[in-house]
Amino acid sequence: MDIFTIGFLVIALVLFLYSLKKDKTRTVEAMKKSRGMMGNMMSEIVAIIFLIGLVLHFVPPETISEVMGAGNTAWSTFLAAVAGSVTLIPAFVAFPLVGSLVDAGASIIPGVAFLTTLTMVGAVTFPLEKQEFGTKFALTRNLLSFSFALLIAVLMGVIL
Amino acid sequence: MKVLDFAKKNKLLLAVALAYVVLALMAPTRAAGALSNSVYYLKEMVQVLPAIFFLTVVIEVLVPKETIIRSFGEKSGFKGYLLALLLGSISAGPIYAAFPISKTLLNKGASVANVVIILSSWAVVKLPMLANEVKFLGPDFMLVRWVLTVLAIFAMAALTGLLVKNKDLSIEKTSGQSLVIAPEYCIGCSICVKMAPDYYEMQDNKAIVRRLPETAEEAAALEPTVAKCPGKAITLYPEVIRK
Repeated sequence: MDIFTIGFLVIALVLFLYSLKKDKTRTVEAMKKSRGMMGNMMSEIVAIIFLIGLVLHFVPPETISEVMGAGNTAWSTFLAAVAGSVTLIPAFVAFPLVGSLVDAGASIIPGVAFLTTLTMVGAVTFPLEKQEFGTKFALTRNLLSFSFALLIAVLMGVIL
Repeated sequence: MKVLDFAKKNKLLLAVALAYVVLALMAPTRAAGALSNSVYYLKEMVQVLPAIFFLTVVIEVLVPKETIIRSFGEKSGFKGYLLALLLGSISAGPIYAAFPISKTLLNKGASVANVVIILSSWAVVKLPMLANEVKFLGPDFMLVRWVLTVLAIFAMAALTGLLVKNKDLSIEKTSGQSLVIAPEYCIGCSICVKMAPDYYEMQDNKAIVRRLPETAEEAAALEPTVAKCPGKAITLYPEVIRK
């Protein structure tokens, strides 16, 4: 566990104990409600986790790296954005991956598109987002994120 | 019927399980590889979800509805944007961990725009990630990308706020109703109908509200049905009556 996750858990736990002390009945009630809400998400979350494993196996970082280094910048940017949308790879893998490409002389635009859609667009988490917030919300948020990721990538290419 | 309901509720999980079974039969080493990839994410989930659970409880109990509306509601303005950005940035975990928190906030009166900011910044703006980015891509790269991303998140929030209204969301609809049953959580057990047939009835194997409680006493009398509901699908809003 990294320090941030531990800190997050400690803060949550301290607040929770305070809430328990302040109003036990309401806290127990809220716990039941949260359990119901999160219980409803659990099946999807577990499914997402194993789906990520599958996607990563068939679209490994090496493949993504090849796509981003490919000749035509516009095309490789689009493909990189799609790759970022369908995969969820940890930051400590993604940054060195893009870093090594940029060091090797590739354009940064596909790399930025990939990094941004990787975190903001979730094709894998889409079913859960749809279930919890409605189709219109999930669709709007993901499509906008995809478009803005491309925009950010192009702007980065112009600025840097 | 029960099997069918289970399948319907867990269709993604079943589809993924099926994919693994097919893959295991055709290429066992590939299935094992995919499975071992998932372990990292499974660990991440186990580490983060307890904190998320505690936080949703804390928001529910300690933060008054008025505070949420003032800080994250429709009229919170740019300050609401900044607060949402801060909340998303200091939290830990993958984007799905942001869903329970966002839902709790939405139910307590946060605006769509601010929820978009929380969800987006939750995934993108992370201190350990920014440090990683500086290490591999340099401070200029990180800074420019951070500024552009934050601007994009604000623009997306404003746009989504215009396009998606609260009524489009599949959250509990508090607007004016003192008693709400979330159809997606109702498992059709009919316990509530048996306990209070005046207020609930069954329709297409789901419980629906037949009559709304009109006094605080009526609402209080319905509390046992809320507690007994196995899917936690029923919510009472006594504050709607008092107004």
